[in-house]
Amino acid sequence: MKKALILLGCPESPSQTPMAVYAAQKLEKIDYEVLVASTPAASKLLEVSDPDKYYIKNKIDIESCLDNLEKDQYDLLMGFVHKDAAASYFITFYHILQCESIALVFEKDLELLNEFTEMVEENTDAKIVSVKAFHNPTPLRVKFDRVLKDL
Amino acid sequence: MSFCLDTYLQQSDDYEVLLARAGFKECAKIIKDRATEVLYINPGDKILGARIIGVPPIPVGINKDKGTIILSYTKPCHGTAAIELPVDEEEIENIRKIAIK
Repeated sequence: MKKALILLGCPESPSQTPMAVYAAQKLEKIDYEVLVASTPAASKLLEVSDPDKYYIKNKIDIESCLDNLEKDQYDLLMGFVHKDAAASYFITFYHILQCESIALVFEKDLELLNEFTEMVEENTDAKIVSVKAFHNPTPLRVKFDRVLKDL
Repeated sequence: MSFCLDTYLQQSDDYEVLLARAGFKECAKIIKDRATEVLYINPGDKILGARIIGVPPIPVGINKDKGTIILSYTKPCHGTAAIELPVDEEEIENIRKIAIK
């Protein structure tokens, strides 16, 4: 079974938690064993959203994950990029893992969206889903589904 | 026990925060502006036991006369900070060993 790492950023964007649950389930259905790396706050949101761990089976603290990260540890990296720090984290995880990667870049401000997209584009070979989004995860979900078909 | 940068920053007061809650680019600029020498490392390289997060090449400032280095320090919800902290000569040599330019 292939291994996927979903990297969550700061949980203040409402689209992140439902999209993380959605992505974990979709990846599992195409035979990925999924681990979600997040901050404690983002992890709590997942725990409340999925109390029986039906969708998110494995979680790890983002800092512990980063400390022990090694090249080729995962087959797929999927990261949520909606802040400058999230772009930095994604780029760092990408450079350590050097595996196939998907960046879900989303922001309500178009200028910031372009800035984060450029950061990821210039520093990785990741497939990029770039969407103007905040509350509504649908545009993100639709584009993510398209990228999944290419995996 | 190995050195932990997170613990150090929580328990010490001999470091200076040059910029806080900023973006990586702003911190990279202040590191280059405020250091007498700048080395560059790859994302994920370790300094003082902590993986450094950012966009390559990541600048690390060296102020040898003051015995300090300037690092970018990123947290998911708090953005990136530029921090100047004292280190011994050995740590500066360790940074030279992993420097890419």
